Amino acid sequence: MAEREPVIGIDLGTTNSVVATVQSGTPTVIRGRSGSNLLPSIIALAKSGKLLVGQIAKRQAITNPTDTVYASKRLIGRKFSAKQTQDAMKVLPYQVVTGEHDDIRIKMGPTDYSLPELSAMVLKELKLDAEAFFGRPVKKAVITVPAYFNDGQRQATKDAGRIAGLDVLRIINEPTAAALAYGFGKAVNGKIAVFDLGGGTFDVSVLEVGTGVFDVIGTGGDTYLGGEDFDNRIIEWLVFDFVKEHGIDLRGDRMALQRLKDGAEKAKIELSSSKETQLNLPFISTPVGGGSALHLQKTLTREKLEELCGDLGSRCVTICEQVLSDAKVKVTDLKEMILVGGMTRMPKIQELVKAYFRRDPCKGVHPDEVVALGAAVQADALTTEDSEVVLLDVTPQSLGVAIAGGYVRRLIPRNTTVPTSVTEVFTTSKDGQTTVKIMVLQGESEVAHQNELLGEFILTGLRQSKRGEIEVDVTFEINSEGIVSVAARDKETGQQQSIQVTASGGLTESELKQILEDQSDMMLEAKTGEELGKRKADLAALMKEVTELIPQLQKATAGSEFGSDAVTKANKALEVAKGAAAGQSLAKVNESLDTLTKTMTLFKGVLQRIS
Amino acid sequence: MVEENIDIDPERQREIEALEAKVGTTNHYEFLGVPSGAPLDEVRNAFHALSKKFHPDRYFGKNLGTFKGRLDKVFKRLIEANQTLSDPEKLKAYLESNPFVRAAVKAANPTTTPAAPAAKTSDELAREAERRARLSKHPYMAKAGKITELVSRAKSHISRGEYSHAFTQLNLATQFDPTNVEVKTMLVDVRKKNEDLRSTEDLKRGKDALERGDDEIAIAAFKSAATSNPKNVEAAVKAATLIDKRHNDPREASTFAQKAVDAMPNNAEYRVLLGRLLEAAGMKAMAKKHYEEAVRLDPDHPDVKKHAKRRWPF
Repeated sequence: MAEREPVIGIDLGTTNSVVATVQSGTPTVIRGRSGSNLLPSIIALAKSGKLLVGQIAKRQAITNPTDTVYASKRLIGRKFSAKQTQDAMKVLPYQVVTGEHDDIRIKMGPTDYSLPELSAMVLKELKLDAEAFFGRPVKKAVITVPAYFNDGQRQATKDAGRIAGLDVLRIINEPTAAALAYGFGKAVNGKIAVFDLGGGTFDVSVLEVGTGVFDVIGTGGDTYLGGEDFDNRIIEWLVFDFVKEHGIDLRGDRMALQRLKDGAEKAKIELSSSKETQLNLPFISTPVGGGSALHLQKTLTREKLEELCGDLGSRCVTICEQVLSDAKVKVTDLKEMILVGGMTRMPKIQELVKAYFRRDPCKGVHPDEVVALGAAVQADALTTEDSEVVLLDVTPQSLGVAIAGGYVRRLIPRNTTVPTSVTEVFTTSKDGQTTVKIMVLQGESEVAHQNELLGEFILTGLRQSKRGEIEVDVTFEINSEGIVSVAARDKETGQQQSIQVTASGGLTESELKQILEDQSDMMLEAKTGEELGKRKADLAALMKEVTELIPQLQKATAGSEFGSDAVTKANKALEVAKGAAAGQSLAKVNESLDTLTKTMTLFKGVLQRIS
Repeated sequence: MVEENIDIDPERQREIEALEAKVGTTNHYEFLGVPSGAPLDEVRNAFHALSKKFHPDRYFGKNLGTFKGRLDKVFKRLIEANQTLSDPEKLKAYLESNPFVRAAVKAANPTTTPAAPAAKTSDELAREAERRARLSKHPYMAKAGKITELVSRAKSHISRGEYSHAFTQLNLATQFDPTNVEVKTMLVDVRKKNEDLRSTEDLKRGKDALERGDDEIAIAAFKSAATSNPKNVEAAVKAATLIDKRHNDPREASTFAQKAVDAMPNNAEYRVLLGRLLEAAGMKAMAKKHYEEAVRLDPDHPDVKKHAKRRWPF
């Protein structure tokens, strides 16, 4: 038999990327040709017109700030007009421009590059490193992304792989990969949490691990929370003081900005091991209209850094709480917790993590390499006969369709194990409606336009009829590759339409809102709509009744502590009910109905006893 | 038919086919191969063990032919079963809408039924009536042929011996029209048939388990068999003896012996068994009553004789 084709795992990071493989049963990091395990995810166009990738691009960043691209992962798969993009642009020294479809392009020299193209350059570099290591061509790879990447960002990453000449076997989540690397070949049995604070993103995942099975039971995160944000806090602090002193905003000068970024990152790293550090940036600025050059010289203490970034740390903890409660897991149920990402070296983060998880994080996992190692384990598992490892991954975000009124009906909730499929019956929302539009949305908001539009299609030829009489089966399917497909079928005629979601829709939030409004005649109605309407009417009646009883009760129980307490509670319940009556959630309306019914019974009981 | 050329070994192919056949015909517990009402750990372990065999990733990049669809179907059902049984809320809803599974869970686990719905308050009953009224007004539900359709579906299920499916259909039909006498009679009949069928199956399962030496599973199966069909004397006696032997719990064992006695009140042997268990559980007066009855029924029975001349201290 021929020697097995080599397969690799790639951690395509915000600041650094790593490539690994499994060699005779052991996951190993492939050292780059430059001798380092980490490849900076930096691309530059040198003055000579040559494209530079990695360490060599990083080294010339300060002298070539406008043509050096870093942290491009924060922009991949996003829209130019998205708020996050606009925010990010303010602190990026390179030029971000808009493409034809509101996609993002980055200008280096005369050329505009798309983000998949830029990421592909990094991937290609890693591919070359792997080929040098194996001494033959390498094609097959598993690439990791933050768990909270949406479909668009995943597709863009896959595209990058394709451009780099890789056959992307699978896109997997970074924290899952970390758990794979940690549990590979070990007799772990129990629940583990992975806390991954990297250069650009924060992810936390909970997995149940048992003899070779890695079952993701919950995941969550923030794609805009990472080391870069800590750096930016330091930059802001430096800039703010500099403005106060000299009246000059250094961020206007791209070269100064690049130097600030460099200095901030170094200071942050140093403060992980020492209590205090010096920031020394001589000749940072020359005042307009002449005068001697200005220098920036400051001392940053660990305490000050922690103060500047305090809210970032607490955001991480809030997300952990959310993920654990979604997964119905208590901190005490966890057997182990793993720290991933360079930022977890920060003492304050370790302290917060220890306090929240009430345990010391697992030692013996290299935070920078563990993700690539896990990707390699999965690549190996997919290509090995009777592999010992099987990964049960989940959908990180909910999927649903837009329904009448601008709301979302969720078909596949987040944290559902894939592959999966769900079918639900919908009806027409208008009399005489012969066409329905199926808009596939990804996200957690109840309001349609605050979600990401993955794709859309139209089912025509419905029989003219009263609203609610025509029934349409809508089926969502996610296969084990994570590809989403959606089908709609007219139950009467059996006529069917479907799409496979392959690329992101390329729409901004406001465009999506506009489309939803324009097409309100073609919307679907959830089958619960009728139930909801009736329940809401019930709730309104009950709210009125309770409101009317309050003055009576106040009079009857005048002054007593019990009376005022009951009234406060009733008012609170009314407040909640008001919210439920305005929303579209049947569960919430029902909940309020229950609470108010209880209040009502209590009121009546009290009034009877007194009168 | 052309033999498919597939990269899965024939034994695994058969396993996939066997599981695929179970997709539409078994409840979630049965599909995972765990006893009804199995605890979370057992459910998760079974799910993980099956995932290692049937996750589509295990066959990544292979030529699967028609097995691609089959695997997908099997694995999706595994996920559904796992997600339903490992989430208390989903489990509760599942048991509420599947009375047979609920009965089986209850039988297997009489003390700690996780989701036995509480007795309905008058408030809930009123709300249910209102819901029913609203349901019947719904244009879709009001279709006149609906009940006929459901009944005919139920009948075809009955003819194939699929009583649990028939029950679902009939149950649905009663929700549309709770006064329909024909449906009601059929429902009672089907429920009984299904329970008898289950009971026979459980008895067999219990015997198999006993042979394997897996006493705990045997106990659960016998209990379930005795509960779903009160006339299944064999199951009741086996449950009683085994519970007494393995759990050393004569009180619980006596409830099953009582079932045997109820079903066959003229059998002296069962009376003696019940008497012995009651005595061990400290209920001497009742034990005495059954011993005396046994003596009356069959004075020559060897087990009975021992007790015939016993003097009772009270």
